[in-house]
Amino acid sequence: MVSTEVDALELTVWEALAAVHDPEIPPVSITDLGIVDRVRIGDGAVEVDLLPTFAGCPALDVIREDVERSVERVAGDRSVVVRFVYSPPWTSDRITPEGREAMRGYGLTPPGEGRVFLPLASLTQGSQTATCPFCGSADTVLESAFGPTLCRSTHFCRACRNAFEAFKPKGKTIR
Amino acid sequence: MATMTDDPRLSLLLALADDELIMGHRHSEWTGWAPHIEEDLAFSSIGQDEMAHARLLYGLVKEITGRDENDLALGRQQGEYRNAVLCERPNRDWGYTIARQYLYDSADAVRLAALADSSWKELADLVGVMRLEEKYHTDHAEAWFERLARGPVTARQRFAEGLSACIGEAVALFEPLPGEEDLVADGALPKPNEELLADWLARLGEVLEEASLDFVLERHGPPTGEMVPTSAGEIAGEREDLRVPGVARREGRWVHEGGFEGAGGRHGRHSEDFLPLWDEMTKLYREHPGARW
Repeated sequence: MVSTEVDALELTVWEALAAVHDPEIPPVSITDLGIVDRVRIGDGAVEVDLLPTFAGCPALDVIREDVERSVERVAGDRSVVVRFVYSPPWTSDRITPEGREAMRGYGLTPPGEGRVFLPLASLTQGSQTATCPFCGSADTVLESAFGPTLCRSTHFCRACRNAFEAFKPKGKTIR
Repeated sequence: MATMTDDPRLSLLLALADDELIMGHRHSEWTGWAPHIEEDLAFSSIGQDEMAHARLLYGLVKEITGRDENDLALGRQQGEYRNAVLCERPNRDWGYTIARQYLYDSADAVRLAALADSSWKELADLVGVMRLEEKYHTDHAEAWFERLARGPVTARQRFAEGLSACIGEAVALFEPLPGEEDLVADGALPKPNEELLADWLARLGEVLEEASLDFVLERHGPPTGEMVPTSAGEIAGEREDLRVPGVARREGRWVHEGGFEGAGGRHGRHSEDFLPLWDEMTKLYREHPGARW
């Protein structure tokens, strides 16, 4: 296969990947979430390397199956190999601006810039930890660094009095 | 299965992975029972992270031994688990739970920081992922440390009792591994455990002194109120055998000098608390070998 065909197939695979969505955040595609590390078109196989957001995320198996199904549709005679890899580690700055916007539209505050917050509401009274995805107010309190999934924290907006969730920041460096 | 003497990398991997698995199992016991719903979520999430980290590390064990992750987590005999005894102790009360989480995760942070520079690239990569998630565990433990240590008298007292009860066995998290010299020589383990212990203990000593809780390093023992000093500074029930083995203050620094309490975990020797935990954790897998869910 000449290189232009390989390039065309790679593009088609990326388009197929962009159509796969995170089952726990349906409006966000896995490409916007930044978990696709690499696509490689080999002679006999299409290889896709994925970076897990959180190692214990139970959605990983569903994502893997969805990726396999989606890529098999465009891979022709090639087999499809989907792997989870751990280098580089996934960090929340891999989420694209489109992904962040889709999260906000879903009622989930996108991750903050770097700083990891303290986990107990009583210790963070008055500190601004996340912007409310419903009214946009910054007058919010962190209820817990933990939530319904490993990647979410729980907050309360004092302006519109809604409870809301945010996607946790996951940083490159340990401070 | 390859034995520990075949490949010292297994003793390192299983110490790390089994600590995470067993700690995760104990944390999961708070699911539905924690004092409030945020803590229910916190311990459930931390437990889920720890078990996921164990699974990542078992993936490397699988490459050496051929045994898969489920079989490693649930299909081994009791004497094949290499977790430190600290991890298998029951949760007791909130004071003990927080004390143990603080000691365990601060110690884990020290060894993971060292392993991030491991010459074994596959391990260093996994450690890089683990550390980003462990940051939330140490934040949780530190916030609760502050809350209990500076909280009302009862909270402080029960936290001190928890620290007293588990400090000795926390030191044994750094018990030398079988084959450790080889691991250090080839850089898989960048620092010997004794050095990691010295780093952790010196920092812990500072934190405890700052909170006026350093007395737990001098005396430890049964999880009862008798270990907390009265306002006159007296401690009821003080006995020679209540000292933390091998921990002493020398020239303004807390150091380790020799012994370990509750040692043996790295060789597969466990306390009386391990059997009921193992029995519950592995029951389904033993009755339905190869079960998937």
